[in-house]
Amino acid sequence: MRKLLVALMFLVCFLEGDGLHAQTPLKKVSLIPQWLPQAQFAGYLVALEKGFYRDAGLYLTLMEGGPGKPPFNFVASGKVTFCTEWLSNGIKKRVAGLRVVNLAQIVQKSALMLVAKKKRGINTLEDLAGKKVGLWADHFFLQPMVLFAKNNLKVEVIPNYSSVSLFLKGGVDAMSAMWYNEYHTILNSGLNEDELTLFFFSEEGINFPEDGLYCMEETLLHDPDSCRGFVAASLKGWLYAFEHEQETVDIVMKHAQAAHTGTNRAHQRWMLARMKDLILPSGDLARLGKLRAADYELVGSVLKESHLIDYLPNMADFYRGPK
Amino acid sequence: MIPWLRSRMSVKLAVLVLGGTTLVFALVLSYSYYASREIILDEAEKNARNLSLSVARRIEQEFRAIAKIPETLAAFLEISRLDRDTLLQLIRRTVEDNREIFGSSVSFEPFALDEAERYFAPYYCKKKEGLVYEQIGSDTYDYFVKDWYYLPKVLKAPVWMNPYFDEGGGAIIMITYSCPFFERDHNGARGKLRGVVTADVSLEWLAKLVGSMQVGGSGYCFIVSDTGAFVTHPRQELIMSESIFSLAEDLHDPNLRALGLSMMREESGFADVGSKLIGQEAFLAYARIPSTGWALGAVFPRTELLAEVNKLHRRNVFLAAVALVLLLTVSLLVARSISRPLRSMAQATSKVARGDLDIDLSGIRSRDEVGQLAVAFVRMAEGLKERDRIRNTFGRYLTREVVNRLLESKDGLRLGGENREITMVMSDLRGFTALTTSMPPEKLLAYLNRYLGKMVDILIEYQGIIDEIIGDGILAFFGAPEPLDDHPARAVACALRMQAAMDEINTLNEADGLPRIDMGIAVNTGNVVVGNIGSEKRAKYGAVGSQVNFTGRMESFTVGGQVLISSTTYEHVADLVDVRNVLEVEMKGIPGKVNLYDIRGIKGSYGVTLPDRADTLIVLNQEVMVQLYRLDEKIVAGAGIEARIIEISPATAVLVLRESIVQWEDVRIVIRDDRTEAVGVDAYAKVLSVTNVEGRYQALVRFTSTSPEVQKVFREAVHSA
Repeated sequence: MRKLLVALMFLVCFLEGDGLHAQTPLKKVSLIPQWLPQAQFAGYLVALEKGFYRDAGLYLTLMEGGPGKPPFNFVASGKVTFCTEWLSNGIKKRVAGLRVVNLAQIVQKSALMLVAKKKRGINTLEDLAGKKVGLWADHFFLQPMVLFAKNNLKVEVIPNYSSVSLFLKGGVDAMSAMWYNEYHTILNSGLNEDELTLFFFSEEGINFPEDGLYCMEETLLHDPDSCRGFVAASLKGWLYAFEHEQETVDIVMKHAQAAHTGTNRAHQRWMLARMKDLILPSGDLARLGKLRAADYELVGSVLKESHLIDYLPNMADFYRGPK
Repeated sequence: MIPWLRSRMSVKLAVLVLGGTTLVFALVLSYSYYASREIILDEAEKNARNLSLSVARRIEQEFRAIAKIPETLAAFLEISRLDRDTLLQLIRRTVEDNREIFGSSVSFEPFALDEAERYFAPYYCKKKEGLVYEQIGSDTYDYFVKDWYYLPKVLKAPVWMNPYFDEGGGAIIMITYSCPFFERDHNGARGKLRGVVTADVSLEWLAKLVGSMQVGGSGYCFIVSDTGAFVTHPRQELIMSESIFSLAEDLHDPNLRALGLSMMREESGFADVGSKLIGQEAFLAYARIPSTGWALGAVFPRTELLAEVNKLHRRNVFLAAVALVLLLTVSLLVARSISRPLRSMAQATSKVARGDLDIDLSGIRSRDEVGQLAVAFVRMAEGLKERDRIRNTFGRYLTREVVNRLLESKDGLRLGGENREITMVMSDLRGFTALTTSMPPEKLLAYLNRYLGKMVDILIEYQGIIDEIIGDGILAFFGAPEPLDDHPARAVACALRMQAAMDEINTLNEADGLPRIDMGIAVNTGNVVVGNIGSEKRAKYGAVGSQVNFTGRMESFTVGGQVLISSTTYEHVADLVDVRNVLEVEMKGIPGKVNLYDIRGIKGSYGVTLPDRADTLIVLNQEVMVQLYRLDEKIVAGAGIEARIIEISPATAVLVLRESIVQWEDVRIVIRDDRTEAVGVDAYAKVLSVTNVEGRYQALVRFTSTSPEVQKVFREAVHSA
């Protein structure tokens, strides 16, 4: 009898819900994150799973990102509505002529860092001189190079293509890593914190805000409501994720396992915690999703100095997120 | 504890013995358990270490054998330039001929083999449909940046890869051994990298190999890579996702992380991993697999390792329990053998406390301390019985007050006394001394005891203290040792009761054919010394003083049936007593006349009155001839005086005689009338008065004792009158 009642209630809710949305048909949108499903994108995964996008009138399709899938290519081709990308990439693309706009600056701080082995004699920045440093290409490459240049360090740069294996097997003495990802992988590969020397770019005067939400300027012009709804639901997703660690890790694990990324809960829990540190530095809710002019200027100036851009676009043109 | 248990000595003893023994057993068993556990664990640890080492060695051999194949191929490629067909043949044969190898490739550096070809990486692998050949390099599979290629390239050394899912190759989870090969100059020195030879081993094969290693009943082996990642493990879901460190983090188990580090960094080891890892307490033995830098772990559930010692321990505990039950039985028996006599002694004690001294401890036959105690206890009871007997015996003569005072007061036996006003009662049977000569001893004693028994009862009833019983005489007093306010009245009443009781005694005596006897009682009040009189060896509680002697004198004035009280006593009880007569007597050593009050009764709360005696003198027609002997101090003295009885009453008689006798004198009257058969029988009497009538003396006497024969003579004389 009770089961029947529950089933009945469920049916009623379902019909009601369906009926409600039948009145205002959901807007079909899509999102491609810049990497494989992991807690780096927990806010979007949670917003999707908890129905925040649907509540915002959006029917969101989540594309699987990853290596060999530059998000702006998908946005530019119109295959995907929204993407996540680093601020530096966004600016470069804009300057290169792709009319993308930043809808929200999610990650406020550089998660990029250098991890070095103390055993290889690296205790200070200066110790990096002459050492083999494994670096990723593209946008991961800029900050380390700027850091070395700033400190006049001659290091032997070894390209690193994916994993931490090169570092762990001793192919390099230091490597670039994401605080929320590779650094933890290193810890959970049998190296203790006290055996490592860490250099955070956010603390070296090269703080690059990373993941932001982007879409084509055209999309924003035609459907500002959907864009706003998408951003609001995404931010709501992030806040929910920070409040509900366990549930969020469950959701992330579900997506990660579907993508066979070979991760584990401990890793995703760490990543989620770090994302909170990066998205809400010192717990400041007022900064959620906002791009600060100072950060924009800094990234712009570094890019300009590195001759990666000729000019820095007007921030108001580029940044269309919450003020 | 239940009061019943606490009150039972046997239970207490048994519990104590059992408790102590249990404690000892527990200590011994715990020690043996821990000691044997240590030994067995040591042994188990050795076995576990050996097992892990041997399995690691076994796997090492496999890895080496596998590694040899690409290594040989790489070495061959370094020294010879092969055409493509031969190379493909070689790779093909490598895969075909080696069961363990799932697939193999020789991947060249860009344009290394052919300047037109960026990618050249022929690959053979075993699939369901058979051996498959493919070129794995393409714009979508840029093998140059893959770990399996890039790592040996950078490291310039062969590398065992962690398990990975390779979509470019076999599209299975595999582990790959990648061996770089280089250009060699004519001296054989290494030049530029030319490519990498790989041998893929399917994880399934390795898992099967590791899984086939038997570790006890429920233990298992697993392999972790040099980064702690699970390479093989019975829990499939751990492969490719978890490392021993991520597990440690997930389980919040820093020990597990430390263990992981040890596995990475030590050659071999053994550790207690607690229960978090496999859900039950377990040990882990581990050993490195040198060629890969991986580690083999063998998990031993603790229960399995300790199964033997636990079995032994259970057996020991069972034996201990049996021993304890036996011990309980024995200790209960022993305790009972001790406590049973003690219990019967306790019962005997309460019996004694109730006053019953007839205890029987003959059931206690043991001769140990308990037996000795029983013997002593019986002796004590006998002592108590003796004391009671003494008390009772004394009581007959001393009254209970004196006895109690003697027995219960610390000073009861101390010699010495105090001056006290008391009232003395002295009684004596008239003519009894003379009677004693004519009566057989047993009869005499029965006669006397009947009298004394009655008198003592009355005295005790009135709380009189019997000072002395000499023959038929009783000296008693009132007002000591315990003071009595009304001792004169009490004494007078008691004397009256005693006197009244004589009728009863005489009735009994007559029924028994014994002579009637009369008693005289004197009561006197005066100051005397009372206390324990005598020596340390023999003493009595009594009274001494002139008043005692005075009482004795007074008594000698009494005749049968009379109660005489002194004027001192009279002063105390004047209002109460009914005086029959006041006698004026002269006493030896006392100047002047002394008034003695012959009393009939006392009023008030004591209320005793003597019946009036029908005592009318009857003139005899035929006088009875008697011989009169004057008694001096109760001894018949001198020759008899002839006399004749002219008047007689049951208690008195008037005699006519030639010689004078003295008033208050005691006399023996012997019938010498020839007409009677009772010649020679006698009676005793006291002279009440003597008058001189025409040269003859007429004496009024009062009989103090008359034998039945005499009474018969008198009756006959009266009847014939």
